Amino acid sequence: MEFKLEAHRIVSISLGKIYNSRVQRGGIKLHKNLLVSLVLRSARQVYLSDPCPGLYLAGHPGTPALPQQPGESVAGPPAGWGEPPPPAACAAWPEPEPQLELPAVPEVPRAGDTEPAATVTGAGDTLQGGEAAAAEAAWRRVEGPRETAVGGAGVPAGGSDVFSQGPGAARRPCGCPPGDEDKSASPRVDGCRAPRPAGPEPPVPPSVCPRKRGAEGVGGGPADCPAPGSTPLKKPRRNSEEQPGGAAAEEEEEMETGNVANLISIFGSSFSGLLRKSPGGGREEAEGEKSGPEAAEPGQICCDKPVLRDINPWSTAIVAF
Amino acid sequence: MAGAGGGGCPSGGNDLQWCFSQVKGAVDEDVAEADVISTVEFSHSGDLLATGDKGGRVVIFQREQENKSRPHSRGEYNVYSTFQSHEPEFDYLKSLEIEEKINKIRWLPRQSAARFLLSTNDDLRINLWHLEITDRSFNIVDIKPANMEELTEVITAAEFHPHQCNVLVYSSSKGTIRLCDMRSSALCDRHSKLFEEPGDPSSRSFFSEIISSVSDVKFSHSGRYMMTRDYLSVKVWDLNMESRPVETHQVHEYLRSKLCSLYENDCIFDKFECCWNGSDSAIMTGSYNNFFRMFDRTTWRDVTLEASRENSKPRASLKPRRVCAGGKRKKDEVSVDSLDFSKKILHTAWHPAENIIAVAATNNLYIFQDKAN
Repeated sequence: MEFKLEAHRIVSISLGKIYNSRVQRGGIKLHKNLLVSLVLRSARQVYLSDPCPGLYLAGHPGTPALPQQPGESVAGPPAGWGEPPPPAACAAWPEPEPQLELPAVPEVPRAGDTEPAATVTGAGDTLQGGEAAAAEAAWRRVEGPRETAVGGAGVPAGGSDVFSQGPGAARRPCGCPPGDEDKSASPRVDGCRAPRPAGPEPPVPPSVCPRKRGAEGVGGGPADCPAPGSTPLKKPRRNSEEQPGGAAAEEEEEMETGNVANLISIFGSSFSGLLRKSPGGGREEAEGEKSGPEAAEPGQICCDKPVLRDINPWSTAIVAF
Repeated sequence: MAGAGGGGCPSGGNDLQWCFSQVKGAVDEDVAEADVISTVEFSHSGDLLATGDKGGRVVIFQREQENKSRPHSRGEYNVYSTFQSHEPEFDYLKSLEIEEKINKIRWLPRQSAARFLLSTNDDLRINLWHLEITDRSFNIVDIKPANMEELTEVITAAEFHPHQCNVLVYSSSKGTIRLCDMRSSALCDRHSKLFEEPGDPSSRSFFSEIISSVSDVKFSHSGRYMMTRDYLSVKVWDLNMESRPVETHQVHEYLRSKLCSLYENDCIFDKFECCWNGSDSAIMTGSYNNFFRMFDRTTWRDVTLEASRENSKPRASLKPRRVCAGGKRKKDEVSVDSLDFSKKILHTAWHPAENIIAVAATNNLYIFQDKAN
């Protein structure tokens, strides 16, 4: 459990660093971001391999530790550092409900929860499984682009964009001018990103992620410009119609990268929306196509490669930083 | 063969007694970013000492000649020249800023057949320049993957062999060092030798990869050894043995339990350099709290010294410092928690022939000499 707490903290810190690196003078430092992405990967692996999956959806303070949910197999002790989570960890995630309901969202910590990682959501909420699975899938993508946390962060694109959600999505510059209430997910020229050592190719559009994710299932909205002090993750959430307004508003202040469990759960619920909804306006077509199989095979989210590509917005959110 | 950490005998070995000699730089508490020294290098004779700072300026000090009327001024370094070497640039087309910070200064040998220099500004490539051909260079190492998603390591330091002009080494963020022979192939992507020490699985942590990243690599003057600096240690490698270093010296092992905090405050990314003394019998590297460490390879003794204004009376002896890692703190020991991590010594240089050292502490340059000097 202590590992998980530390892993959680480290993930938060790492995300913050990647975010800050975009606005620092001199542009994004390849070496440092590469190292941060390695730490992120290690922390994530530990986080995932912890036998308390419910911890993902950090709930109210004082919630008792999560007993195993019915049907949930017990994951082994945390995998060794750097080892991929044991298959049991995946199996530990219960089958999510195909149709995730909004009530799952209340599992999201309320405002004022600063360290929800210390608590776990109440057991027995079957909807929680869906959240967990979606969150698990979300975390999976942290693994995928770990190098591209660097790559996306400004390394001259070697030509490919790991976050490409389809041929159409690749290589469009990410746009995130503040206050741009773009209804569609079409990326815009980045006007506010820190200078990067980009090559002649258009910059990879990782920071489109929040906006894209918002557009996918929750009505779209402006991409978040990573203005200093703000966090792009606010926007998609704000635009999320899936989430109860209360939780959304309360969550905003928590959206500082210090509360990753919140982020996961929030994204999780939005992904559940993604699973259900048809693509929103301007959403990448590729994503729309893939949401079908994903919804059809929820139990395999954590292991299904197409799903990994599909749930790009999370990874691009990370890389957006 | 790990070196002992902590304090040692009151000298860097060989019965040396280090004394304060000079300090250059402002005394201000508020240090301007531009004034932070980013590189220090003695010339091959040791008569000149160059520093570069983050503001792109270079200052060259020259050693005073012996003067009978001012016997104590012998050996003093005074400013010889200062100039603005680099200016900040902005590439508007690529929206790319080029920092003016001086990363490295290397003195060219006065009489040498070698007319080449290495440039490793890029994390992924090493280029070879001929001094008389300034519009193009040879690319000799390129580790940029075709697909940047596959990037797993970057080049962190590179150096020519002191005697074999065709041999160079470069270190990586993964803690490996590759030795390349430019005679064997034009593009040295494939190394001749790969130096790597297997990691210790029992000490694995979230930060194992970061702390194994090599921040500096230096050949010994003899050319037979090379030294690498990672976050917690310096390692001496025999060029004939790739499997593991012949020596490992712990610089500040007491930081191992603090890695998470050091990650948080970015200190874990600090790139410490290291240097050899003229005879390769001792090595030196910096630490925090304006401490720097010396390791004597012959006697296996090590010492921690401090560069501070408080101890800057002319010819005042430097007292060895000790860090208390835990438990009861003895008198004169500094506890780990009271170390000032903003005072870091990243750059040090050792006179090629004498026991004179230059230590850069943020915006101040300290010069220390052996009493016998």
